[in-house]
Amino acid sequence: MIRLALLLVFVCCFTLATQLAPVFESFQARSGRSGSPLLVLVGDSRRLFANQFFVMADVYFHSGYYPTIFDARKKEGPSHLDVASHEEAGGSKAEHEEPDEDDQFLGKPKDWIEQFGRNFFPTVHTHLQGPNAREIMPWLKLSAEMDPKRIDTYVTAAYWLRTSLDKPDEAEQFLREGLRASPDSHEILLELGRVYFYNKKNPRAARNIWELALDNWRRQNLAGEKPDPNVQEQILGELVRDDQQSGNLRQLLADLEELAKASPRKGTLDKEIQDVKAKLAH
Amino acid sequence: MNNVLALAGVVIKELYRRKDFYVLFILTALITMVLGSVKFFNDDRIVRYLKDACLLLIWISSLVIAVTTTARQIPAERESRTILPLLAKPVSRAQLIVGKFLGCWLACGLALIVFYFFFGAITASREHAWPLGIYFQALWLHWICLGIVVALVLFGSVVFTAPSSNATVCFIIVTGIMFCGGHLNGVAIHMGGISGTILYAIYYSIPHLEWYDVRDFLIHNWALISWAVCAGATLYGLLYSALLLGATWLVFRGKTLTL
Repeated sequence: MIRLALLLVFVCCFTLATQLAPVFESFQARSGRSGSPLLVLVGDSRRLFANQFFVMADVYFHSGYYPTIFDARKKEGPSHLDVASHEEAGGSKAEHEEPDEDDQFLGKPKDWIEQFGRNFFPTVHTHLQGPNAREIMPWLKLSAEMDPKRIDTYVTAAYWLRTSLDKPDEAEQFLREGLRASPDSHEILLELGRVYFYNKKNPRAARNIWELALDNWRRQNLAGEKPDPNVQEQILGELVRDDQQSGNLRQLLADLEELAKASPRKGTLDKEIQDVKAKLAH
Repeated sequence: MNNVLALAGVVIKELYRRKDFYVLFILTALITMVLGSVKFFNDDRIVRYLKDACLLLIWISSLVIAVTTTARQIPAERESRTILPLLAKPVSRAQLIVGKFLGCWLACGLALIVFYFFFGAITASREHAWPLGIYFQALWLHWICLGIVVALVLFGSVVFTAPSSNATVCFIIVTGIMFCGGHLNGVAIHMGGISGTILYAIYYSIPHLEWYDVRDFLIHNWALISWAVCAGATLYGLLYSALLLGATWLVFRGKTLTL
């Protein structure tokens, strides 16, 4: 009797599964989400997780030296991980460097317990250097899994992949994943162009990508979406660099004039424009 | 002393006869190895996330072992009435408490050695290094921390009637101290007034278990902690354990042994 009942339960489960599977698949297709059980489980809160994982990457970038929710931050702003990936000239600190005043979130110890307790966690501000930067990658990958529309994650990961880790193929693949989620992202296109220009030594492809990025930026600007002007300046800066490398003076002049309109460094650029004009006159 | 060691020996035997440790160890090993099998951007030298996850699991497992093993010691003896012949041996109540404490603490130490050896092996498979100094410091501080936890749970087992309520309260206290204990002074200063003063008093009174969590040093390959600092933390931990054991004895000596 019990066996018969178990058989009946099994048949019921099987029938239910055949009924629910197509419904679940159509739900996935409608919502356009991947079928990862983790994503289904966390739902829309995945954006919070994505931000938290990005913060974890920053914690690892600082080798554990990071403010908790109890520590006062001097100012709100982008993380050092983010800043470093946006600054080509590099603004990163060497490992085991002394902290700046702004970075001393700990302040002076309030009592002997706090003073003694500081021996048990990192209290020196450092940044990961060279291949050690690989340690932030799992968190960035997880952040992108959680929120594929978080553009900073792709740009930051691709920067470290193509510079410190010398993995341009992986950087390109990751950026293309980001482009599939955000096809109009000029930030991702800017970084993708850099992969082609600096790592794959393919300036023609890089130029095409940067021009597409500039078109996207302008389109978003006209649509009133207020894209970051700093990104436009960076795209134009890269185009100017390409012109300088190729020796195309007419294109260089046009790009410099465009850059002068967008950049706050107008004085320096005006001098460069005059120089190019002089060369063209000869 | 022989009575104390005999009692401790029984507790240690109990640890390896029960399945708690094996289940937690296998679970830790399994989760760590599954995480280790994941490859990010074709780089097989990424290790810190793995160390982080493994150490977190080790801390959770060790706390579960310490709390659950200790919480059932005295209530189980009382429930089965074996405490009466035990105290008629003669074993004094103070010896019973010290014996139970020592047994649980040593059992936790043995479990920690196995856990940290596994952690070292997993790390060495990627980093090809055995930084024994920092491993020893982390294990030692972890063990001292568990000593305080064991003493706290033993105190709870003579205050609370059921082991489950004792274990739950102790888990809440321990995790609360681990996460917020070191920041109570800052919160107290912000609060001000009488409530701020009370909070500051609590801050000074609680055992600062967060000191003993030096996972960041292991994960991010920091240099050794000063040995003098380790000695200071050890002394603080031992004093706190002794204080809690003394309080346990004070409560236990006037307690009726039958339920």
